[in-house]
Amino acid sequence: MAVGSTAVPAALKRKHRRETARTLAFLSPWLIGFGFFFAYPLISTVYFSFMRYDGFTAPTFNGLKNWDYVFNHYPFFWQGLRNTLWLVVVMVALRVAFGLGIGLLITKLKTGVGFFRTAFYLPYLAPPVAATMAFAFLLNPGTGPVNHLLGDLGLPQPGWFTDPSWSKPALTMLAMWGIGDLMVIFMAALLDVPKEQYEAAELDGAGPWQKFRYVTYPNISPIVMFAVVTGVIQTMQYYTQAIVAGKVASGVIGGSGQQFEPGYPHGSTWTLPQMVYNLGFQRFDTGSACVAALVLFAISMAVTSLLLRRRSGFLSSED
Amino acid sequence: MHSPRRSRRTAAAVTGSAVLALLATACTGTNSAGGTDDSASGKDVTITFWHGWSQENETKAIQANIDTFQRLHPNIHVKVVGDIADDKSEQALRAGGPDAPDVVSSFSTDNVGKFCSAKVWADLNPLLKKDGIDPARTFPAAMLKYSQFEGSQCSLPLLGDSYGLYYNKTAFAAAGITAPPKTFSEFDADAVKLTVADGDGYKQLGFMPTYHGYESAPSRYLGQYGASYFGGAGKSNIATDPRVAAMFTWQKNLIGKLGGFDRLEKYRSGFGDEYSAKNPFETGQVAMSIDGEWRTASIAEDKVSFDWATAPFPVPDDQADTYGRGYQTGTIIGIARTSRKQAASWELVKYLTTDTDAVVGFANAIHNVPSTIAALGSPKLDADPNFRTFIDIARNPASDTTPASINGGAYQISIQNLGYAYESGKQSDLAAGLAASAKEIDAAIDQAK
Amino acid sequence: MTVTTMTRPTTASPSTTTAAAGAARRRAVLHWVAVHSVAVAAALFFLLPFVFVFLTSVMSDRQALTGDLWPHQWQWGNYLKVWQTPGFLGWWRNTLLYAGLGTLLTIVSSLPVAYALAKFRFRGRNLALMAVISMMMLPPQVTVIPMYLFWAKQLHLTGSLWPLIIPMAFGDAFSIFLLRQFLLTIPKEYVEAARIDGCGELRTLLRVILPMARPAVAAVALFQFFYCWNDYFGPQIYASENEGAWTLSYGLESFKGAHHTDWNLTMAATLLVMAPVIVLFFFAQKAFIEGVTLTGVKG
Repeated sequence: MAVGSTAVPAALKRKHRRETARTLAFLSPWLIGFGFFFAYPLISTVYFSFMRYDGFTAPTFNGLKNWDYVFNHYPFFWQGLRNTLWLVVVMVALRVAFGLGIGLLITKLKTGVGFFRTAFYLPYLAPPVAATMAFAFLLNPGTGPVNHLLGDLGLPQPGWFTDPSWSKPALTMLAMWGIGDLMVIFMAALLDVPKEQYEAAELDGAGPWQKFRYVTYPNISPIVMFAVVTGVIQTMQYYTQAIVAGKVASGVIGGSGQQFEPGYPHGSTWTLPQMVYNLGFQRFDTGSACVAALVLFAISMAVTSLLLRRRSGFLSSED
Repeated sequence: MHSPRRSRRTAAAVTGSAVLALLATACTGTNSAGGTDDSASGKDVTITFWHGWSQENETKAIQANIDTFQRLHPNIHVKVVGDIADDKSEQALRAGGPDAPDVVSSFSTDNVGKFCSAKVWADLNPLLKKDGIDPARTFPAAMLKYSQFEGSQCSLPLLGDSYGLYYNKTAFAAAGITAPPKTFSEFDADAVKLTVADGDGYKQLGFMPTYHGYESAPSRYLGQYGASYFGGAGKSNIATDPRVAAMFTWQKNLIGKLGGFDRLEKYRSGFGDEYSAKNPFETGQVAMSIDGEWRTASIAEDKVSFDWATAPFPVPDDQADTYGRGYQTGTIIGIARTSRKQAASWELVKYLTTDTDAVVGFANAIHNVPSTIAALGSPKLDADPNFRTFIDIARNPASDTTPASINGGAYQISIQNLGYAYESGKQSDLAAGLAASAKEIDAAIDQAK
Repeated sequence: MTVTTMTRPTTASPSTTTAAAGAARRRAVLHWVAVHSVAVAAALFFLLPFVFVFLTSVMSDRQALTGDLWPHQWQWGNYLKVWQTPGFLGWWRNTLLYAGLGTLLTIVSSLPVAYALAKFRFRGRNLALMAVISMMMLPPQVTVIPMYLFWAKQLHLTGSLWPLIIPMAFGDAFSIFLLRQFLLTIPKEYVEAARIDGCGELRTLLRVILPMARPAVAAVALFQFFYCWNDYFGPQIYASENEGAWTLSYGLESFKGAHHTDWNLTMAATLLVMAPVIVLFFFAQKAFIEGVTLTGVKG
């Protein structure tokens, strides 16, 4: 501490020491948590990424072999990266646009606001496994009600979760169904836009689009940015819906001797986090699983640093 | 962005030596190499047995066997847990906690190589020797082959499975077919004849050829071709063995004859659970299916509404003389190396795998192929001709199994994935696909070594 | 809550002629119809899945496979069947234990940390905050391998939910962050006044700050409860090998595995898993929406 010079009276020094002790005491649960559930496993992950370890016999040094395997030979690595990128671009963009649209819609409503708000919010509450299960049923190509309706209307009936070109769009639809969180955030931001600015724009003869472009958007753009960045981070972690949809649609969920095909159909729902599970808990190749984990870590931290830079408000404090 | 990096470095300093100490212990692990127990001296011992059977008739049959065992060994109590998937039991065995099982069985012989080489399952050779059991004179050669890996007998066969053709005799009569097909060209023709379209779907499908159609996996079809998986130096030879390419081509052609991939997949999404009365063969959704011998028991129990029979699955036209063969596999059972109750566990394994009455009784109850030489010749074995078909397939010298591999069934997943890509048209160049899969298999095996 | 009072009167200019006023009114009516039509269409998108799931859940096995929308006969017994599935009650108990205990531990351990980060001045505070944010953004898969090895090999606690519950006694990054964002909005005069009255920091936190932060604590509790309730990855890793430790989210998947195309039963189970969170929402709607707003807007 910079103030630790000899000129400082002993009383002040004592106070300082007391304050440090107090701070440490308040922070202690998290300091332990940080060391134990963040720093330790990270270091350990780096360590294991250079080891051959099957979780059973003692680990042996393996050099760069795991890294080489994951990047150059593991058949699902680039596919997982490509899928994750697809989801980051399409799913996040559509979710933000849709969330903003629904938020705008709510602010324009004059009747039944409470009903519509609840209706739009409700799907967000559905647990991911349950929501995915529901969609797997609704979109089941042979027997689901959605294709039944599409058939009645004479429209084409996609294979949804069983068709590699429709499985990610189906997951995107599921993500858009649970838009409640973004809707509420956008709604609050939209209501914070000063009314005077709209009135001034109206006096200048601005139409609805111009009002959105020159009044609404500049006011809510930090929130849009926030939604995009957190959306990207959430999508990096995209796991449950993808794996459950794949298992349900392929019909292979459990039972001895059955092997689940990763990312069914044709690896189209295969994402980075699933790689860690597949390598670590199905192949028991701890080293390669740690390599995959570190790739995931590097990408997540890159996105997080973007968040920290763009939203300095994250770090704001009162003094 | 320098701050997060700095924070990590700070964190590393804060946690310091404590972390390193932890790391050190995590590396060495605390694997007990197992131990024995006092069951031999008559003390009470409880062992845990995990298996994968889930159908009611099967769980009842295994429980009956366990009950008999407990009567013979009143001091050994067996806690049975069913419906356990292989990766779950493997995870538990590697973790080695107090709830981990002592005795484990698996339907998949694929994992024998992995279990043996990683020493997840204990080598049973010393125990066999101690009790004077000669494996070669007790178990059929093929079954003995798939239960060991590189000299370690880390599992024993607990009943075997062979694969054949199930056909709906009522539907055959309606379509004017008098005998089950013996070659693939006959089979394809029959499958088309038995298919009744219903608008965009099917009223009845002759056969579901796609690789997701339950037992219609590449390994089962390849069994009819007698294809080899690995050549010299343990390298995959799926790209060089013409029988592999022939299988992929035959299956793809059949898909075309039956209405195309998309239509078949849509129909498949309405299939019920394989291991239930809603199996598409039992409901009449398909008129023929490739399946294991256990289905004979389920069909009898579920009382289907049509006449049915079994036969060996057809073979390629150019190998017509091998008719009668079939894909061969089986259930295996072993002892967790971490088990502290090896003596009691061995008693259970020994009883289930070598006691002729137990093996025959269990085989009859769940209609599996018995797995000892004595039991195969037992007069008590069920005489039902539909069941006997599979005993004959098991005895056929041309019947073969999928070889054990150090990384388990990973090579079969690679072949399966190629199959999915090829049948759906995503991969159109078969030769290139086979070459890429062979490379993928070799790299994965290399990584596991 | 501003959200509920959002109808904004459209004021017409007072100097317009009656004809113009009529046109404006017609436009307003058309606008009303257009906006509400879009809203109804959107509501159908959001609500119909629930309706279909419910209708299917009371169909017969066979009808659930037909794509029919309306049940021929209402089989309420499906719910009883699901309820009587072996293990189903256990999944409920485990989920409640995980979510309840996890939430409690999270609040108790996170509140002091958030308070220190918001109200204490100390060197390295921004660094600590950045570390919290980094932890918050960390995908759970990154650290799972060593953590699993630790719980399995050192403590032999796999096959239970404890590896998921115990870490919550050591602060949850997201909860810390959220609470800190809220505590920032409490003027420091309150804290100073309490200090002058001779309160220790802990008493200040409990007597002065906690009552003011109740909405934020409620929101954090709800989020954490939901997180645990919805968690699939955690139970899959740590509890899957022991059926006695399964949670609803994990069990639901295996329920589907065991019943395959008995979609009626699977949908009944799905609704039963959804129901508690939805009921909870109606009781705690306000805290919820405030909480979501807090994640995005404040700070």
